[in-house]
Amino acid sequence: MRLSKSWIITTKDLSVFKKNKYILYSLIAMPFLMGLLVPSILIFSLQAEAGTLTPPQLIEGATVLVNLFTVYFVIIAAVLPTIIASYSFVGEKLEKSLEPLLATPTTDGELLFGKSLAAFIPCVGATYIGALIFVIVIDAWSTINLGVFLIPNLYWAIVMGIVTPLACILSVETNVIISSRVNDIRAAQQLGAFVILPLLLVLIFATTIQTFPLVTLALVLSGGLAVADLVMFYLSKATFQREEILTKWK
Amino acid sequence: MIETENLTRKFGDLTAVDNLTLHVEKGEVFGFLGPNGAGKTTTIRMLCCLINKSSGKARIGDFTVDTETDCLKIRQMVGLLPENVGLYDSLSAYRNLDFYGKLYEVPEQKRRENIERLLQLLGIWERRNDAVGTFSKGTKQKIAIARALIHDPELLFLDEPTANLDPEAAKTVRDFILELKKEKRTIFLNTHNLNEAERLCDRIGILKSKLIAVDSPRNLERSLYNRKTIVHLESVSELIVTAAKNLSVVKNVRVSENKLILDMDDPERDNPDLVRAIVEAGGKIRYVTELKSTLEDVYLKLIREARQ
Repeated sequence: MRLSKSWIITTKDLSVFKKNKYILYSLIAMPFLMGLLVPSILIFSLQAEAGTLTPPQLIEGATVLVNLFTVYFVIIAAVLPTIIASYSFVGEKLEKSLEPLLATPTTDGELLFGKSLAAFIPCVGATYIGALIFVIVIDAWSTINLGVFLIPNLYWAIVMGIVTPLACILSVETNVIISSRVNDIRAAQQLGAFVILPLLLVLIFATTIQTFPLVTLALVLSGGLAVADLVMFYLSKATFQREEILTKWK
Repeated sequence: MIETENLTRKFGDLTAVDNLTLHVEKGEVFGFLGPNGAGKTTTIRMLCCLINKSSGKARIGDFTVDTETDCLKIRQMVGLLPENVGLYDSLSAYRNLDFYGKLYEVPEQKRRENIERLLQLLGIWERRNDAVGTFSKGTKQKIAIARALIHDPELLFLDEPTANLDPEAAKTVRDFILELKKEKRTIFLNTHNLNEAERLCDRIGILKSKLIAVDSPRNLERSLYNRKTIVHLESVSELIVTAAKNLSVVKNVRVSENKLILDMDDPERDNPDLVRAIVEAGGKIRYVTELKSTLEDVYLKLIREARQ
């Protein structure tokens, strides 16, 4: 597989996404909303408890809540691709540009990797921007009110550095597969969201029951997601049929 | 350049292309005529390695359409203009061509030169930075042709290049194809437009799942019935008819008002003798013409026969 070929497809897709207002606004709105809304709720609930708890108890409570809310950024990274990746092949189909694209000397793997990368970069980028806003708001509050930085911590670093991109990759790959098999954007998005749901439930369940230490849990999740990502990439290659796309799409 | 042997493609019970055996020479413009659903697009897609064949053989240059390695090489050496232009509307004309130039691995300097040359040739250079979505259908078609040529392919597949274009845009595209013909490029042209096929193609294949006929437009036109010479006279007399019939080169004579309609094998060679005989028999000739069948006559006859 020639990565340079994939990168050509990625940069083209990114240029197309940049001109699509729906994608652009989604990428801007979601992280900003989460980066500001989530810490606001968190700070509001901590302020409500501030009078009844001692400072060490407040720091402990705040840390638990911050770690819990960190999972929302994994959710964002998994949800954003349902908006963008659903455009990857359906978008080509709508522009009727798939036939000339498939006629170029590009392999299925290069095409799929390029398309996946084009969805991954803005999704994970937007998630990180949201996470950065989250960190700034939370740490600004915690240094003023508690005299400590709550994040980053080891768990947060693993979740943001490993779990988030891996969850994003899984979602991207799933949505790219769906996009190559359905005929319209809405169907791709709905189906994509539906497929991502089990992943989100696992994440929320795993982080809330707290059977394992959080760091161990994050590492286990990372391993599971890495395997799932690899399986999904080979599955997407195996199920990608140029012929079916060209002859069955109406 | 293109060779197929019993190339067949089935979709379930439907045989879209049935035992197609074809040979297209390098530098030839080959036209594929046929009604909707005749298998023209399916043939192009098989030859461009976009879909698989069901059976038979197909070869483009030195490569077969069987293996992924050969298919990549075939895709590198051919240019395709599909039925739908398939450009990215939100990107500029330049960016569209640049993207494909990169995918076809055209070096940057050459890519820039090719884009400029093609857009200049097609009269779109001034609007190179405009989004393709703002262009007319005809202009989009021109950009799509430029895209097919961005890597200087040895072989060009054009699928209905003038379909849905207004007459002026269609003419521009046809003129451009004529320019490409002068450059001795091999062109495989799918079209419904008989006039276009006649003007552009060295040879024409008529397809209705099976290949019904292949020949030059001129030979196809002559294949419908024997060549006929029509002699328009001031008046026809028995003496004139007898004089014509007495010539060994004339196979049959029919009289229609003041015209003689004569079946002849080689009118170019034998018309002078015919004219002399008629004049010597007292005939006053107004003018002499050839009765020709058109490509449309031939096409319709062959397609009707294929349906039966």
